[in-house]
Amino acid sequence: MKVLVLNNMAPFQRGGAEELADTLTAKLNATHGISAELVRLPFTWDPAEKILDSILSCLTVQIDNVDRVIALKFPAYLVQHHHKTLWLLHQYRQAYDLQGTNLTNLPGDKRSQEIRNCIVAADNACFTSCQRIFVNSRVTQSRLSQHNGFKSEILLPPVTSAEDFHCRDYGDYIFAGGRINMMKRQHLLVEAMRFMPQGAKLIVAGPPESPSDGERLQQLIADHDLQDKVTLELGFLPRERLAAYVNGALACAYLPVDEDSVGYVTMESFYASKAVITCTDSGGVLDLVGDSQTGFVCEPAAEDIARAMSQMTSDPAKTRLMGGNAREAIMKIAPDWRNTIDRLLA
Amino acid sequence: MKVAICSTIVPFVDGGGRFIVKWLAATLRARGHAVEEIFLPFSDRADILMEQVMGMRLLEIGRSADLLIALRPPSYVLPHENKVLWFIHHIRTFYDLWDHPYRGWPDNVELRSIRAALMAADNETIREARKVFTNSNVVGERLRKFNGIGSQTLYPPLYQPERFGFQSLGDEIVYVCRVEHHKRQHLAVEAMKHVRTPVRLRLCGTGSGHTYHAQLTDLIRSNGLESKVTARFEWITEAEKADVFAHCLAALYIPLDEDSYGYPSLEAGHSQKAVITTNDAGGVLELVTHEDNGLICEPEPEALASCFDRLYENRKLALDMGRRAEEKINELNITWDHVVEQLLT
Repeated sequence: MKVLVLNNMAPFQRGGAEELADTLTAKLNATHGISAELVRLPFTWDPAEKILDSILSCLTVQIDNVDRVIALKFPAYLVQHHHKTLWLLHQYRQAYDLQGTNLTNLPGDKRSQEIRNCIVAADNACFTSCQRIFVNSRVTQSRLSQHNGFKSEILLPPVTSAEDFHCRDYGDYIFAGGRINMMKRQHLLVEAMRFMPQGAKLIVAGPPESPSDGERLQQLIADHDLQDKVTLELGFLPRERLAAYVNGALACAYLPVDEDSVGYVTMESFYASKAVITCTDSGGVLDLVGDSQTGFVCEPAAEDIARAMSQMTSDPAKTRLMGGNAREAIMKIAPDWRNTIDRLLA
Repeated sequence: MKVAICSTIVPFVDGGGRFIVKWLAATLRARGHAVEEIFLPFSDRADILMEQVMGMRLLEIGRSADLLIALRPPSYVLPHENKVLWFIHHIRTFYDLWDHPYRGWPDNVELRSIRAALMAADNETIREARKVFTNSNVVGERLRKFNGIGSQTLYPPLYQPERFGFQSLGDEIVYVCRVEHHKRQHLAVEAMKHVRTPVRLRLCGTGSGHTYHAQLTDLIRSNGLESKVTARFEWITEAEKADVFAHCLAALYIPLDEDSYGYPSLEAGHSQKAVITTNDAGGVLELVTHEDNGLICEPEPEALASCFDRLYENRKLALDMGRRAEEKINELNITWDHVVEQLLT
């Protein structure tokens, strides 16, 4: 059986979705009787008018010589095929749940509304045509149900190489990995360090989405004289280096705004027996992190985050205990690739 | 430099059009460039041809790439302010194969208008490129004839040619290539009916349909050629391929009016083996010169058979032509250093 995996691309940018698409394709290829190929279609959403072009473009793509399609993201999932399974990582959030926030490029004007209507119409037509719809988290599931009225099944994406993440020891730093941007709010972590005593340590490491995302953090560190407390490593981290940071941390932190999924960052930390600091508005992350059980759930405010960090450093025994709970929690629900592929192809 | 390389594919179909992108990407990465490979699915069905062209035109990779290198049609319709084409062929059934049985659709008003629309789109979008290279003089000439666009020939090298080399001079003529009707493996099999020497033939490769494989198998059996012809209709590994070339007597490459010289010709040359081809093989004739680095004959079984016999009987000639085959590649400067310099500056 020939399976085509469909995803978007923004040239020269990689994140969790890209990693998932690569791994899914590799795991499919390693499955008996399956050959798989990944196709990535360029997507531009800026200016918003380009979204319409992207929708139309995806609708013209002809897929020959393929038995099944597994599609992951908007607008690549709009490509037509007689047997399409959706594994929805996220919709175009700016047209849905980010409406009315300052994070959308579709504000309330008439033209934005028209573009939004096109996105919703294209989405609904696509969802109707799919054989099955899986989603990556409860958050994505409820959004899809609320905004488009479609039912879906949750299928948690497995971590690429979970075996890389295991506790080496509990060091003296809090680690924040992953892509750096406004939505991931690493700036809140840096600001929290203003309220921490001398000797407290935060390491932020990952690729900035744009140069300004990195510069913002550098500026913040300089403005508040936090060089001794905050280590910033900008750029893509090789997997071993990332794992070494996670495996040796006291705890980890991940504060995205209403994240679609539980997040690789969360899952990797849990595999490494690390408690995770997150926020009350972090979305799918809250499916995993339980307050005072497997980490701390804070208000998205620097002082409150600092309070959680202090508790972690002042009571390392409890921090370890929560780390152990985290490992147990992830092992209980840990998805494996064989079952994941069985469900996708069922 | 950030380089996006864009081409079109049919999913799950491999071939020269994909390899050239992968090899170029690997070469550029090894030289420290950031490379993004963009493969867009494309079907050459006439009724949806132009809507697919439009769909690709609407895509945008914007300023994220410093340079866009576009190859297989119609990927070059992608807009970019710094676009360079390495044009490897037209959608040939609408161009030079229009008046050919391979076209497969009627010459009516509807199809003629699709043809005109495609040519108009090609004319406009190819001209946007800062530079246009082709993979052979044949393709360059077609671009001039049909689109009125000038270009420079930039011969595609083999990836890591050092994997190939001379080991011994055996008694097999090898044809390692996709097994398709226009590659004319059937001519090679028929030639074996006419050989006078113990020369042998080896066919390796696979194709998109099994009908032609079956025809060839049948042709071999019905002529009782099983002992003289070895046919393996499957992809062999790169290591096996290098081995086959390293030990053969000479290589065969007899496509019908091919766009380019074809990787088998280069693989033979890097293995210091002569190439036997036909006078209607197209781009192959840019690389192979009769009596110098190979033999060129009529596309007839008898003519091919006498070439096979001649090299079998005159091993010194086979050795000399093989050495010349390698020299010719160097004379034409078919190297990645040259390709990178041309595409990036």
